[in-house]
This record gives sequence, structure tokens and C-alpha cells, in this order.
Amino acid sequence: MSRFRTVFGFELSSYLKNKVIIGVTIFLVLASAIMLSFPRFTQGVGSGTDTGASADRPVMLIIAGGEEETARMREVFAGAFPGYDVREAGVTAEEAQEQIRSGEAGCAFVFTAPDACTYYVDNLGMNDTAPRTAAAALQAERRRSGMIENGVAPEKADEILAGTVSVETVKLGKDQSFTFFYTYIMIFSLYMVILMYGQMIATNVANEKSSRTMELLVTSVNTNAMIFGKVLASCLVGFLQLGVIFGSSILFFNLNKEFWTGNAIISSIFNPPPALLLHLLLFFFLGFLVYAFLYGAVGSTVSRLEDANTAVMPVTMLFMISFFLVFIPLASGDVESTLMKICSFVPFTSPMAMFTRIGMSSVPPIEIAISVMILALSALLIGFLSARIYRAGVLLYGVKPTPAQIISMLKKEKQA
Amino acid sequence: MAIEVNGISKTYTGKKAVDNVSFTAEAGKALGLLGRNGAGKTTTIRILMNVIRPESGHVTLDGKPINYDKVRIGYLPEERGLYAKKEIFSQLVYFARLKGMERTDAGRSVDRWLERVGLAEYRNKKLETLSKGNQQKVQLITALAHDPQIIILDEPFSGLDPVNAMMLEEIVKEQIAQGKIVLFSSHQMNYIEEFCDDIVILNRGSRVLYGNLREIQRSYPRTKLLVRSDRADEIRAAYGDACRDYDRDLLEITLADAGEKQAAMARLVEQFSPDEIRVFEPSLNDIFIEYTQEAEETK
Repeated sequence: MSRFRTVFGFELSSYLKNKVIIGVTIFLVLASAIMLSFPRFTQGVGSGTDTGASADRPVMLIIAGGEEETARMREVFAGAFPGYDVREAGVTAEEAQEQIRSGEAGCAFVFTAPDACTYYVDNLGMNDTAPRTAAAALQAERRRSGMIENGVAPEKADEILAGTVSVETVKLGKDQSFTFFYTYIMIFSLYMVILMYGQMIATNVANEKSSRTMELLVTSVNTNAMIFGKVLASCLVGFLQLGVIFGSSILFFNLNKEFWTGNAIISSIFNPPPALLLHLLLFFFLGFLVYAFLYGAVGSTVSRLEDANTAVMPVTMLFMISFFLVFIPLASGDVESTLMKICSFVPFTSPMAMFTRIGMSSVPPIEIAISVMILALSALLIGFLSARIYRAGVLLYGVKPTPAQIISMLKKEKQA
Repeated sequence: MAIEVNGISKTYTGKKAVDNVSFTAEAGKALGLLGRNGAGKTTTIRILMNVIRPESGHVTLDGKPINYDKVRIGYLPEERGLYAKKEIFSQLVYFARLKGMERTDAGRSVDRWLERVGLAEYRNKKLETLSKGNQQKVQLITALAHDPQIIILDEPFSGLDPVNAMMLEEIVKEQIAQGKIVLFSSHQMNYIEEFCDDIVILNRGSRVLYGNLREIQRSYPRTKLLVRSDRADEIRAAYGDACRDYDRDLLEITLADAGEKQAAMARLVEQFSPDEIRVFEPSLNDIFIEYTQEAEETK
């Protein structure tokens, strides 16, 4: 145990002095500070100039058949598009298009018939809802006119059209529109941390091997203490790094809270249920161990540091495939599919799959317990296997061994 | 205290790397482990260090299996390796602690050794800033800082200049005098002759010679004389086939019987007044070549 503590302490101090880790942490803290403080600056600037002048709003031109009709349509569109400075164009459709191209006007609606119009815009945005808004406004106007023409008083017509039907939703499980974002962020953090630290562990071990320090290490200390010390130290640093990044993000969010009140998504990200955070810690820890041990084992099979990047490819691929197997159902919201349920019990995918299900759906506690048990046991087994590969690594110099060669070597060592 | 290697064997990909090798290394003495490249020295050392397990045979300390967590072993591997980018002091303390030392004791011992080998001023520098010879000295400290009972030195003199080699010689002699078990592997036969009482020669995984070096040397028949003289041609002519060139300066004369050697020497002095004349006793180098070549030829 004391040897484990010695390795753990040595590795921990190395990671804490690692310039890449310090640099990435500072960058992410600064990025979150800037991002979360952004509305404070933009709203501050906006309030100084927002005097109600229409000059700030994009210009929308309306062209309909005849002045009276154009004026009526302008009124309809002004009601439907409060964010625009809606104007009667007073020009032809071609001139309106020219104004749009030159930037004088933002867009134009040109009526080709009383019930049909064309929307002109320079670059059509991905989320441009103007045609739909216009269609809805015109539809309502058409109904209103129809009712008035058929003898309904204008006030009565407005009252009928204003009437809404309410449908109340009572959620018994979780609201995916909120859970999605924090689950997504947590899964993505797990992905980034495992990838970053996994590579670091593999490089660290490959460096020990190529510099022949490994020979001295395996003759000085039990390799279980060695590999567990290395992996747990990097895991703690990973936790610390995430703690610093998320801690500072929470701090900056709270400092700028009043500017985010209208944003339900951002607010939801910073208010995840505490039970989910505990699950995150558990699955993050176990998932990290599984992959970190694999990365460590792979690192000890290469003879030269330059080979480490190619040697870790199979582990990285396994991890990326596992990530996407979970990420696709996460993005679509279909987190209770059969595939996701199977993935929740496979150690390579369960840290992400089970965590996603817990975050976005309701999972029976027994399933969570079984998944955690399988994962913990696998992490332990992979850890011991990795320690044996690390030990055998001292003998594996020269041509990179195939997995079959490593297995046969481990078998022989066990028999002897 | 004695470490006993009893009939160890190890096979790699169908080839016997070590085949039924036995020897004993005793405290207060150095044992030289010799062999050509690929003879099985490193595998033997690795088995001794418990890095690999033998398929048969075992290693004991005073007749009991070695408890590797308790017995302190110092190892200087042939392929040197330390953390190039880490500070010298911190990594030396790390290695001493891995071998069971407490932090403060490890720190004190490392400082003492750094002082001893003249590297105290580089204590907080990164290893990569040192010259190769100085890195070698740092590596030596990893083998000695934890006051080991057993010391295994694999090619300890390679890369050292004569002054540093002399310092290492003193250190090794001190360790032997302190009653440590010292196992010495090297191709520099002069060092083995200087330090080692006993030798083991391995060839293709098998032990081909084992015993006390002096006794081995004396066991050779004393039927050969080495002669250095300006009149080499005359000696060659006088002794015919019994005379051959030993090296550039010396002639080797083979006698029919060891009992003739006093009379033969007197005759040579009388006839040719040689500058030097002595009874041939094989050097370790001669013995090594004889055993490793002979074994090769019989294969």
C-alpha cells in the first residue's frame, strides 16, 4: 500500500505540474468566463442605444396591389413582426430586391395575388421563420375578413380568433428538453477527459518503456501498485480539472445570473439534480478506470514513443464507437431503445449509456446497481490485466507484438 | 547471507534462453556473470529480480524463497533509463521510496550519494541537462541509495571516463567490504578479474564454467612459457613447432611436461638472455574465449 501511495504521489505531482493540463484548464476557465459574461456586455451596450428608434431594426418592405391594400398588409405584418421596421415599399418588386441586395432593406413580401405572396431575402438563415409567421398572420387576417364579410362584428371576430385552447402537460418522468443539455455536457466532458487523460497515460507508459525506466520500475515495485497508482492519480487530476472548470462556470453563471433569467436552457445546465451529479461521479470514475487501464496496457506494448499514437488507435476507436452508440440516441431522445439498454450493461459503453438513461429517463435502481457492479468488476479485472501487460512490456522490445503474442506470453507467465 | 540460483530454465519462442543454470553468490564477495551477447545473462538477472518467472528451478536466499518486498535489491540495468525531464533529486528519492525507504531517510541518503559522486550542485536540475557519464552516476545512485543487501550491476563501467571508472571501482569495493552480495555482469574482463572471486560463464543459455577464478586459472596445466626477447627468430628456430607467437611481443613455448619448466626456463635464460620469461597462466579473457568458442564449436 505504501508503494501505491508513493507512485500515486509521484504521478499526481507530475500531472499537477503538466503544462498541457494547466494550459487547457486556464483556457476553459477563461472561455466559460467570457461566454457566461457575454450577455452582461451585449445587454449593457444595447440598453444605451435602444431608444425605440426603428433604425436598429431591419427593414421589411411590403408591396401589394394598390395603396390601400399595401397599407392594410403593412398593418397586418407590423403586428406579426414586432422585430422589424415594416414599411410600405412604394417601389417595384425589382427595386425592392435591389434594396435588399444593397442592405438598405432586410427583406420584402411582394403580393402576387390577394392570397399569395413572395418572400425576398438576401441570405436565407437556417432558422428563418418569417415565411411561416407571414403565412400564419395572413391566414388569421383572411379568417377575420371572411367573418366580417359574413356579418360578424369586427370585435366579435377578433374575440373568436383570439380564443386559445390550453393543453396542460404533467410530466411523471423527466423533461428531456431540459435534461438533454446537462446530460449532453456531462457525457461530452467524460468523453473529453477520458480521451485526453487516456492518451496521456499511454504516452507516459510508452515513455517509461522507450527510456528503459520501466526495467527499473518493475524491479522496484509491484506492477499492480504501479498501474493503479498511475491511473488513480490521473483520475483524481481529471476530477480536479473538471471541478475547477465547472466550479468557475457556476461562479460566473451566478455572477451573471440576472442576465440569463430568460434562458431556460442555460439555467437548466446549472441546476442539474444533485442525485445525477453523484451518478456522474460514479460512472465517470469507473468509466475512466476501464479506459485508462486499457490505454496504460497499450502504452507498455510499444518500444518507441513515436509508436504510441498508432498503438492507442484501437482503444480510441473502441471508445469513439461506444460514444457514438450512446450519443445518437441521446441526440434523438430515444434513450430507452433496446440498444441503449444493452449498452447500459457493457462495460465499455455503460458509463455513458447508463448515465444518459439516468439523466434523460427513469431507470429502475436494480438496473443501475447491476450496471455499476459489472462496470466496477470489469475495471478491477482490466486493471490487474493491465498490470500484467505492463510487467510483460519489459520483455517486449523490437517489433510491436500482436494481441495473440501478448496473450500467449501472459499465459506462459501464469503457468510458470 | 547467500543467494542461490538452483537449476533455472526459461524458454522464449521455442528457444532456451536459460537452461538449468545454478550458482551461488555469497555476501562479502562479488560474482562475475559472463557470457557473450544473447548468452542468457539478462534473462538470468531478470529471473533473479523476479521480473520473469522461470519454467523450472528457483532462487533462494539462505535456503528460503526470497521475499522481494522485504529484501533490498539494488539493480543497475545494462539499458540505462530514468526520467529525462524530471529533477534529479526528486526522482532519486522516488526510486529509493519505491524500494521501501521513508521519505526523509531517502532524501538524506540521496543527498549523501550526490555529494559522494560529485553531483550535489545538479541536485535540482533535470536529468537531461547532464552529460552521459553523469547520468550514469545518477543511475548508479538508484541502485545504491536504499542501502541494498544484494547489488546487481550490469555493465556498470560502460560510458564512464577513467576518473569516474576509478570512483566506481572504489564504491564497488566498499560495497563488497560492507558484506553485500554483489553480482557483476560485464564484458570488461579486467574489472571482473579485479573484483570477482567467483565467476559463472554462460553460453547459449547453459552454464559452461563456474567456480573460483583463481582456482580456475591455477587449474590450467603449467606447461607453457611466455618469452619476450629480441632474438625471437632464433628461439622460433630452436623450438620449432613447440613455439608460436602469443601476441606481438611474446612467444609461447609448449613443454611436454610441467616438471620441465624450471630447467626449460634456465636453458632459455642461458641461451637467449630474454627480457622476460614466465609460466603462462590464462587471463580471464583467455578462459572466456576458450569456453565460449569451444562451446560454440561443439554445437
